[in-house]
Amino acid sequence: MHGRIKVKTTAEQQETKRKEREKKLKLYNAATGKIFDKRKNKEFDEDLLTMTGEVLSQNSDLYTLWNIRKETFLHMKEIKAQEEMEKICNDELYFLESCLKGNPKSYGTWHHRCFVLDNMANPDWKRELQLCNLFLEYDERNFHCWDYRRLVVKRSKVPIEEELEFTTNKIHNNFSNFSSWHYRSKLLPLVYPDPTNPAGVKEEILLKEFEAVQNAFFTDPDDQSAWFYHRWLLGRGRKKMVINCLYASIPQNRVIVTTSQPILVGSSHQMEVFLKDVSIEGSWSNVAGNSSPYSRLWISFRFSLTCEFEAEQLFSDSDQDISFLVKLSGSECESTMAVEMSAGEMEGWTCLAEEPGSKFSHELSAATSSTLERELESIRELHDVEPNNKWTLLTLISLMKALDPLKYMQEINQYTENLQQIDPKRRLYYKDFRSRCVIENYLEAYDYNSRVVSLNNLSLTTLYHPELLVLTVTMNLSGNSLVSAMNLHWLQCLMTLNLDNNQISSTAGLGSLSQLKDLSLRNNLIEKAEDLEELSQCPSLTVLNIKGNPICNNTHVQSIVFSTIVRLESLDGTVRI
Amino acid sequence: MGSPVKDVTISENAPKTLLLQKHCDYIAAYGSKKDEYEYCMTEYLRMSGIYWGLTVMDLMGQLDRMNKQEVLDFVQRCQHECGGVGASIGHDPHLLYTLSAVQIITLYDAQDTLDIEKLVQFVKDLQQEDGSFVGDKWGEVDTRFSFCAVACLALLGRLNAINIDKAVDFILSCMNFDGGFGCRPGSESHSGQIYCCLGMLSIVGRLHHVNADMLGWWLCERQLPSGGLNGRPEKLPDVCYSWWVLASLKIIGKIHWIDKEKLVQFILACQDEETGGFADRPGDVVDPFHTLFGITGLSLLGEPVLKPVNPVFCMPEETIRKAGIKLELLP
Repeated sequence: MHGRIKVKTTAEQQETKRKEREKKLKLYNAATGKIFDKRKNKEFDEDLLTMTGEVLSQNSDLYTLWNIRKETFLHMKEIKAQEEMEKICNDELYFLESCLKGNPKSYGTWHHRCFVLDNMANPDWKRELQLCNLFLEYDERNFHCWDYRRLVVKRSKVPIEEELEFTTNKIHNNFSNFSSWHYRSKLLPLVYPDPTNPAGVKEEILLKEFEAVQNAFFTDPDDQSAWFYHRWLLGRGRKKMVINCLYASIPQNRVIVTTSQPILVGSSHQMEVFLKDVSIEGSWSNVAGNSSPYSRLWISFRFSLTCEFEAEQLFSDSDQDISFLVKLSGSECESTMAVEMSAGEMEGWTCLAEEPGSKFSHELSAATSSTLERELESIRELHDVEPNNKWTLLTLISLMKALDPLKYMQEINQYTENLQQIDPKRRLYYKDFRSRCVIENYLEAYDYNSRVVSLNNLSLTTLYHPELLVLTVTMNLSGNSLVSAMNLHWLQCLMTLNLDNNQISSTAGLGSLSQLKDLSLRNNLIEKAEDLEELSQCPSLTVLNIKGNPICNNTHVQSIVFSTIVRLESLDGTVRI
Repeated sequence: MGSPVKDVTISENAPKTLLLQKHCDYIAAYGSKKDEYEYCMTEYLRMSGIYWGLTVMDLMGQLDRMNKQEVLDFVQRCQHECGGVGASIGHDPHLLYTLSAVQIITLYDAQDTLDIEKLVQFVKDLQQEDGSFVGDKWGEVDTRFSFCAVACLALLGRLNAINIDKAVDFILSCMNFDGGFGCRPGSESHSGQIYCCLGMLSIVGRLHHVNADMLGWWLCERQLPSGGLNGRPEKLPDVCYSWWVLASLKIIGKIHWIDKEKLVQFILACQDEETGGFADRPGDVVDPFHTLFGITGLSLLGEPVLKPVNPVFCMPEETIRKAGIKLELLP
């Protein structure tokens, strides 16, 4: 029951209403009883249409009665002349229109209308389009009617150009019309297709759209429809499916591969490893901390040669250089990456070379940089007039990030701070957004070969892009506002991890870090031994520091932790006795 | 300049605490008024109504007040020869009520109530060439039905009965410029529909197709100054969106992107202190549908007197765990 206001009534009024309803109920029960009887007896006649019509005009959600009407129609279609049938169908359309006026949001009524038209010899689709116009005038957001309109357009082949014109007029009447903006996003790639453009729309048309949408938010800067549409115009490209990074280790007997998009090895894609040009076998697994079979990180363990070579022989022969090659193949994609290791080297890696400042710019890919520059300029103007408008600020940040994140770093920082003040309900959204900006900036200038990541004291609330940090051996995340270690399962080479001074209450996510030796978790929110349990799965963990956690209030903390993590040698500086 | 924000104001004397016992009494009494007008007029959705009532009672810890045997007898009598289940006795089979029936027998751990083989066949036969699902033999296509089908089969451990790849492709064809989903390809994003599509992708482990940052932004913008959530831009808040939006945010790991305290205030203000139950908005008439979604919203927000609810199946977490069902939730 939606939008029914509760009204105080007297006892007398209540009694009158009760009696009225009792009467109505009797009629309803009698009517539905008769209807079901007639259906049982297969009496699909005009009477049945009248009877179901009476009930449905009161309650159009009674789906079974619509079904009975459909059965009646199909029966009549068999036995009646076409002309007579057309008249019955037309009567039905009038009936349906009156039902829709009473309840314009009934799934059953709209679907029945489709059914009737699809069963007519000469349906008048023009009239249907007019009906849509009418109902969209009553309520320009009625999604049932919009969907019906799309069906009419499809069935009667209304030129999509005309539909685009219709949305233009709707938006002229009222900018704040999300349904129309949405429809435009679907129509533009059809009317002005350009497969080379990431948005699928011709560049000159996109420019016009920028103008139209600016008109909207300059008129009403708080209208979210226009801003969401603007964000779409700016684009959202996906990276090509490629191998991002390849790591191989001889003592660990494993190969790690990360890809630009999630894959399922063996299903969506195949991944093969070649050692000195010989295909080797291994079992691929992903360590994602959830139940998704798709991942961007894949590990192959215990590879062995399928041919005449013996793997051990190859590895033990220290005079030989070694080369690993990984080949990824799937629908419409093939990507390879190789790693060369000189004689005696125990590990090696290769990462996709990307220009600094361009690693994340693909996100606003629909527009050229001159368009982005122009947008930045005009939105700055709006910002000068409306300094506290959150949509303006957010859009400024997105544009700056796309254009030159390093150059605009200070402004981006300032604006994300402002947003938290202006729109406190979504404070944590902006904090995560800010964390993302900070991490992306760090990664733009980061040299993977250093294998040391320092992201400490940056007020980070979450760790974005862990998939790009797979090679990291030493990581400092201390002094942030992290609440979880879930994302850290990506960091498969990690040996030293500093998480001091965060708000972490569980070590979930760290269990798959096979190389982790030294973990510092001082001043976090670890309360119970169970919160540390996952660490018992880390085979290399020998040094742990948990000073300043609630668990330390327990006087037996030492013996509890040592017995939970049996391989541990040192806790908070004390050696296991 | 500009159009005013559509929203409600919460009055000073609106309820501020959870009236748990009143809600239990309201739901327990609802089913005993079988001869009343209101009850009879909602017969076309009875099966879902029973699922709403049982789930909310279970979450409030009082499932034992409901008449288990009566319910199971009813469910059994609603299954048709084709395997599908109708909303009530004599009403036609439909995927919506088939899912409600399966949820009920799962809550009661009473799978032998229905002919499962036939039911699975019914669901399987509703899948179309393009991967979509129709709700019944009359051919209405909707992403809601994709969720119903997949949820139903997952609860019965029979997901392999359908073509999952195609079902996923259809869902993805309904994705929009804002990262959300609509009823059919081309349809506007709607939070109820988004919940269904995310739930479906979660059950089959394909959430990687979702742009969580983009969609999460759109979803957290559903929160209005009153604290309530709407289902689409420029719409009024409604308690049922405390479920559709919030569960969606939970599935993609972004539930912290809205102001929880303000939302709790809004949900509590929708309670009726006299009758018990929740309405869509403060001051409106209550019903079991909004009572369930008020309670499930509060449960997702961490209300400790309620049992934790599963964000995908909208059933107690312990029931889903016991049934051994695995889901994907984004971290």
